Amino acid sequence: MEEQGEFVIPATPQEVWDALQKPDVLQECIDGCEEMTLTEEGTFACVVAIKVGPVKARFTGTVKIVDPHPPHSYFLDVSARGGGAGFGSGRAEVELQAVPEGTRLNYQVRGTIGGKLAQIGTRLFQSFSRKMTRTFFERFSQRWVR
Amino acid sequence: MKVDLTVNGSEHAVDVADNALLSDVLRETLGLTGTHVGCDTSQCGACTVHLNGRSVKACTVLAGQADGGDVTTIEGIANGDDLHPMQVAFRANHALQCGFCTPGMIMSAIDLVQSADGPLSAEDVRDGLEGNFCRCTGYHNIVKAVLDAQANM
Amino acid sequence: MSAETGIGASVLRKEDARFITGKGQYTDDISVFGQTHCVFVRSPHARAKINGINTDAAMAMDGVIRVFTGDELVEDGIGDLPCGWVVNSKDGTPMVSPPHPPIATSVVNYVGEPYAFVVAETLQAARDGAEAVEADFEILEAVVDTATASSSAQIHENAPNNQAYDWELGDREATDAAFAKADHVTTLDITNNRLIPNAIEPRAALGSYDAASSTYTLYTTSQNPHVERVVLALFVNVAPEANLRVISPDVGGGFGSKIFVYAEETAVIWASAKVGRPIKWRADRTESFLSDAHGRDHVTKAELALSSEGEMLGLRVKTIANMGAYLSTFSSSVPTYLYGTLMAGQYKTPAIYVETQAVFTNTAPVDAYRGAGRPEATYVVERIVETAARELNMDPVELRRKNFIPPDAFPYQTPVALEYDTGNYAASMGKALELADSDGYAARKAASETNGKLRGRGYSCYIEACGIAPSQLVISLGAGVGLFESAEVRVDVSGSVTVMTGSHSHGQGHETTFAQLVSDRLGIPFESVNVIHGDTGRSDYGLGTYGSRSIAVGGSAIDRALDKIIAKGKKIAAHMFETTEDQVEFAEGQFSYAGSNEPKPFAEIAGAAYIPAVYPLDELEPGLSEKAFYDPKNFTYPAGSYVCEVEIDPSTGVTEIEKFVAVDDFGNVINPMIVEGQVHGGLAQGIGQALLEHGIYDGDGNLSTGSYMDYAMPRATDLPDFEVDMTSTPCTHNPLGVKGCGEAGAIGSPAAVMNAITDALGVKDVPMPATPHTVWETIQQGA
Repeated sequence: MEEQGEFVIPATPQEVWDALQKPDVLQECIDGCEEMTLTEEGTFACVVAIKVGPVKARFTGTVKIVDPHPPHSYFLDVSARGGGAGFGSGRAEVELQAVPEGTRLNYQVRGTIGGKLAQIGTRLFQSFSRKMTRTFFERFSQRWVR
Repeated sequence: MKVDLTVNGSEHAVDVADNALLSDVLRETLGLTGTHVGCDTSQCGACTVHLNGRSVKACTVLAGQADGGDVTTIEGIANGDDLHPMQVAFRANHALQCGFCTPGMIMSAIDLVQSADGPLSAEDVRDGLEGNFCRCTGYHNIVKAVLDAQANM
Repeated sequence: MSAETGIGASVLRKEDARFITGKGQYTDDISVFGQTHCVFVRSPHARAKINGINTDAAMAMDGVIRVFTGDELVEDGIGDLPCGWVVNSKDGTPMVSPPHPPIATSVVNYVGEPYAFVVAETLQAARDGAEAVEADFEILEAVVDTATASSSAQIHENAPNNQAYDWELGDREATDAAFAKADHVTTLDITNNRLIPNAIEPRAALGSYDAASSTYTLYTTSQNPHVERVVLALFVNVAPEANLRVISPDVGGGFGSKIFVYAEETAVIWASAKVGRPIKWRADRTESFLSDAHGRDHVTKAELALSSEGEMLGLRVKTIANMGAYLSTFSSSVPTYLYGTLMAGQYKTPAIYVETQAVFTNTAPVDAYRGAGRPEATYVVERIVETAARELNMDPVELRRKNFIPPDAFPYQTPVALEYDTGNYAASMGKALELADSDGYAARKAASETNGKLRGRGYSCYIEACGIAPSQLVISLGAGVGLFESAEVRVDVSGSVTVMTGSHSHGQGHETTFAQLVSDRLGIPFESVNVIHGDTGRSDYGLGTYGSRSIAVGGSAIDRALDKIIAKGKKIAAHMFETTEDQVEFAEGQFSYAGSNEPKPFAEIAGAAYIPAVYPLDELEPGLSEKAFYDPKNFTYPAGSYVCEVEIDPSTGVTEIEKFVAVDDFGNVINPMIVEGQVHGGLAQGIGQALLEHGIYDGDGNLSTGSYMDYAMPRATDLPDFEVDMTSTPCTHNPLGVKGCGEAGAIGSPAAVMNAITDALGVKDVPMPATPHTVWETIQQGA
């Protein structure tokens, strides 16, 4: 599964970068995120409740920042397990670029899903993940708007 | 939780788990195994029964939702030894082979005929039975049977 | 006997009485005292090493009784699930059969493969327990694609290039020579889409162990309980055969998928002794999709050599067959002896060469599904014949007629091992064209055009080999079982009859058809014949029902037993008439003797057999009960002509089947109503394959079509009314003159539909299934 996109956030790259390191910010912006804790430098543990079509589950996972170049780029390695509902893992490449409106964030995700999620959720997963990403950046951008 | 059900004319007060399905109660608690479960996701229709006179898929009705309801299963449509016209027509037209989808198919077909405004065409029958899978008959004889039965209902 | 219930009458079915009233007894309807429930923990990965399984959390849960892993079965001496047919490669080496433990131990090789199972007091507790089982997987690269499997990562240590075997049949040199002198060669690349059988009754098992007698009883959804028993006893080592009773009660459809011996019933019956209580399991639908053996999944290149006049000179077929992750019970025979041998079709093509490479992938095992090899063969032959006709600008009917094996050429030896006993292909074709209103086609096509629609017509003239099979032939070809059938006819004192058959009915109506046969031959009322099947505790042995073998082999066995009953009846009657047995005639239910004007009805002889007053017991045993084992001399060769007419809406790509005509030759027919029903069902599955059904794995080996929301099965609205008729050339080598009818519809129909669609669109090929999207894309590419 592959996806890419870009968002323009009304803040400087450094502000965006800093915010993206904060567990409370991430928790607030990820739809269904119930817990987000920094377990060690650059590694978060999280619990996210999601519902994809007929599959509804609480996923427990880790997010790890890899190869950071503040405030320009980093990789995020994500892996999560949802018990009987399945699992997902992937890598996102994130790039920040200063633009007149603030910061343009480009991302590219490559990932896999498995278990029930893949068997009965595949049809819906692409649109689900797109919506989840959009929600994230909408909420994230709101921080600077209000 | 306590659930009161009238099933095939008999009253039952059953104590079931909150998440118990109507199909579980019929099969496991009341021993009415004529209602079959083929997919658990309300796609195949093998579990079709009547709840308050209309067909429902018993695998997607919680027993609690049916509280106080009147349920009819395949075991309850004949009048003693007198089979329901739909049962007669299914046999007369060879509208069943393995028999697994048959109870649900018959229960759907009865509701289809009973709730129709006028006589059903073959196309109406095919549309009306869209929610019931049969893997054996290719539906050809099922359509014939339903058309045949409606004349006697 | 009466005309209403004898051979050839459309008698309404006996078994319906219980099915229409909800009184059928399917495996999941049976519950026994003290029963526990079982849920399998299945791999979420297509290919992974198991570094460890932690069952502690599951074991600690309320209601969980035991959690078992594969290692425990191995330690207890439980063997692998075997493949019962050894196919040799071209170089003579036997196929590679990788280890296949029922419950995975060190590796998992497809999504859905069980690696543990939980036995609990309730189903809910078992489900919760299964969720709590944790495995440490090391994920490995998955191999999914059939065409590229042999050049992908190696799945099994003992299978280089992921190859199970590389098989051939036919004369390569003669075929090359035929191509060298051909005026025209038609080439076709064909993908035969993977199908998932989907009997509406999910697989289920209920196993129990009686410690007092050391006996096991397994209720399971099997098409062949005796085969299940012998495999579990002899290969899997669950229990001595004599201590294991397997019962297949009412079974809700099989279509091949319930032939095989699976992990689940193996685990359930084994564990019932460990737990000391009965264990029940029923698959949910997604489990069925993941773990039932799938069907088809071939990638083929076919070439047909012709003269300029349309004479078929040679056929070359090269197929890659996807076997899935392991070799299922009869999988190896499907793309070989049930496939390559059918490449002559109805035609006198003199030279044929077939190669099949069987490959492993990280997908569910692939095995026999309705037709098993023969639908794939028919699809190759009938698509390429139709394509050749178009390329040569010949009428596809004419090209076929020109090449049909003529009625006077039988018995006919094909270049691919089979000897057809009889047939009249032009007769079926003629009748089909008449029913299809061939003369009115041009007007219908013009009318479609006026409405902006595309109309097309396609033919398929299939032949198949069923009633499998002469035992010594199949054993010489690698089969590990004989393929005869058994029957026992027990005449009661009163003259009623109980028949024990080794065939198994899961929708075929044996209780009716076999009773007709017995009633007709013995001249006793249809109602006084009772047919028993599906219980190793009640009938001798049996090979079960698959490959359209019940009437041809099982019915012939009953017929043989009836011969013995009549012969003994004559001996008894001879004593009553005070004559010799060769003077006694038996007809229409009566034993008669020219020297007596008082014929003896069958019931009277039955009574005399058990109240032995008149015959010497040192010469003749009392009683009237006979057994027979019938081994077929050849396959039976049903054949037929199918015509399909479609109308396609080019704006949506939706294909409507406007007309489907099927004319089949099944030889003699016992119950035409039941036979037509079998054809209807076969057609539905074949049309399903052509238009809707496709089992799809994504690149990581996840089954994307794991529910009825994703796998499109034909619903009532997807299918037309069928026009079904028959011709008859009775089988020459079985006593009933019958041929199998269970698979014909599924064998013949996909090619007819696809020939019609390609005709409508004016293209060489459209991949199956021809979904609206696929058809629409094809139209756009052409535009």
